[in-house]
Amino acid sequence: MKRLRKSWRDPALILAVAPAGLLMTAFFVVPLVMTALLSFQGTKYYRLVWTWNLDVWSDVFSQAHYWTIMGRTVWMSGLCVALCVILGLPIAYAMATRLKSLENHITILIVFAFLTDAVLKTFGWVLFLDRTGVFNGMLTLVGFPPGATDLLFGPGATMIGMVYNLLPYTIFTIYLSMVRIDRDLILAAYDAGASKTRTFFEVTLPLARPGIYAGAILVFVLSLGVFLEPKVMGGGTSPMAAELIRQSFETRVNWPLGAALTLVVIGIGMVSLGLAALVVRNRLQGQDLQGQGGQV
Amino acid sequence: MTKEIKTPNRLGPNPMIGQGLSRRDLLKSAGAVAALGAGLATGLVPARAKAASSLNFMCWEGYNGADIIVPFEKANDCTVSFDLIADSPGGFAKLAAGGYRDFDVVATDSPWVARMGPADLCDFIDQGEFQAEYDSFYDQFKAPFTPLEYEGKATGLPTRWGWVGPTVNTKFDKLETWSSYAPCFDPAYKDKICVLDWGDWPIMPMALYAGINPYKELDKAELEEIRKVLRALFKNTRAVVGDLSVAQKGLLDGSFRALIGGGTYCTSALRKDGHKEIMSIVPEPKNGLNQGIIWMEAAGLIKGSDNLDLAKKLVKRLVSPEVAVNLAWTEATCNLVPSKAAEDLFSAEQKDVLQMDYMWHAWDNSQFHDVAPNIDEMLEIWQQELAAAR
Repeated sequence: MKRLRKSWRDPALILAVAPAGLLMTAFFVVPLVMTALLSFQGTKYYRLVWTWNLDVWSDVFSQAHYWTIMGRTVWMSGLCVALCVILGLPIAYAMATRLKSLENHITILIVFAFLTDAVLKTFGWVLFLDRTGVFNGMLTLVGFPPGATDLLFGPGATMIGMVYNLLPYTIFTIYLSMVRIDRDLILAAYDAGASKTRTFFEVTLPLARPGIYAGAILVFVLSLGVFLEPKVMGGGTSPMAAELIRQSFETRVNWPLGAALTLVVIGIGMVSLGLAALVVRNRLQGQDLQGQGGQV
Repeated sequence: MTKEIKTPNRLGPNPMIGQGLSRRDLLKSAGAVAALGAGLATGLVPARAKAASSLNFMCWEGYNGADIIVPFEKANDCTVSFDLIADSPGGFAKLAAGGYRDFDVVATDSPWVARMGPADLCDFIDQGEFQAEYDSFYDQFKAPFTPLEYEGKATGLPTRWGWVGPTVNTKFDKLETWSSYAPCFDPAYKDKICVLDWGDWPIMPMALYAGINPYKELDKAELEEIRKVLRALFKNTRAVVGDLSVAQKGLLDGSFRALIGGGTYCTSALRKDGHKEIMSIVPEPKNGLNQGIIWMEAAGLIKGSDNLDLAKKLVKRLVSPEVAVNLAWTEATCNLVPSKAAEDLFSAEQKDVLQMDYMWHAWDNSQFHDVAPNIDEMLEIWQQELAAAR
């Protein structure tokens, strides 16, 4: 098959890319550069002062509480990724295989939940999880004492909200990987005597990995910036990075500090993704070598 | 010599380069699109009203009510555009960052109107010109009204007020229990306290409880005391919420026994809906220090308005008795107004909802919410202690 190659000197290609490039430059690169420049300024009487110094950065690196919150954010994001993959994998597998006839119905239901406003869903969870809420009401009906659970306003509730709002990303990415798996490979594994479990772990799961990685990356990046869940469901006593940035910009009116913390979060996201990419690449290289060894 | 640009996918030199689209052309196009984008973006920003018949008004929700603004627009043959404030510091920061050029009038929390004086953002109120308005106020708000003054000049006129103190559901707790903030630190109230995440509002009462007046210059030891009292508060706190409805729901069903840092702002809408068991009080003075806080909103003129006369008319309208009643009685919150002349326009039911029989007791036992010199340090302590709370 002849591979079509395009040169970046092709004017048609340049014209095609230009609108997106300009938009990205105007609304992503320029604001990011401005954010970076802002972090070297100071504030006086709630007004920005163009000082060009490292005071804000020295503050960021010397205050332990910023890093406590950043650490909590990374931990919660990692946990959210793990839970979303663990929960999303069987759902995606079922949609792609066992519940194929209900695939459209399930997709529509998930899309509806996905498209429903996050504010609405989050406040809905408050009514559900509250001491006097629906969940405890149901437990009371089956014999538990009133207020049997106290999930709301804690890190557990934050995690429930995060997983609930971000789960569709993993379901859909894993599902898209799974439906593209060649059915003949699975049948070949059965013919070779592999059990269903072994086929799943040795054929289906490895081939679904791109979807798992894509879903994990999406969920991780979005988790780093969650605001509503820790604020509304978590009760605000375990703040995460987005709340810290909001407080810096809004309550303290310290825009340079808010800008610096924003860059820290972006940096954490990039480093985490870089490390994840490195691990994935090493694993894939390892698999390739194993495969070559097997062929020899 | 022309340096050939190499790309991994390049098959060969493209004949179009240098003929159809040069780098210069591309940069020109990019510049044109960027200029167009900037023009569009500028169009989205509310430019200060150029015509004599329009005003730009930065305000809290409630000030933009049709019953307040439409008659004004009709009477003055003008249009009023709004920029609703989500938070007072954010509104001030917007003005201070140059946004003042876009606005004519602002209505926000009084410390932020007062800050407009030293920040050189306001057109001072001529007390003689507004004498009739001052005359219609309660004595407590008449000129010279020092909380809004800067170097002897008024930065704005008071529009609404109330007090910050424990908000209690009397179905679950006696009011006397909250004659002090002590229950906030009582193990019996562990996980039953809700703190409103409303900037400095919850910090100030805690400082007062610690015996420190937060409105004066504080030393390190005093700031450490504030740290200790906030740390102790967070140990007993179930939630630090910014959303009024979550706080009110918890208070109604008893999962929160008191709201700290909100006061009348989160009380009266519930009382308006018939929940007369909800009350905001101010604790008794402790060691000679008043424990309540009086908050106030104010309206001010913004420096350099092209429509100063119209802006003054709008400020006068906002403090007029008939508009004061509308400002006091909104959908989301109900609050007191400084206009004595408006008092007779309230029904007995409205007066009860607003706890008018209690207002001067609250006033007498409160500090006025003013510009606090160490507010940034206190907010930083708040952030630090909240980060370590769980």
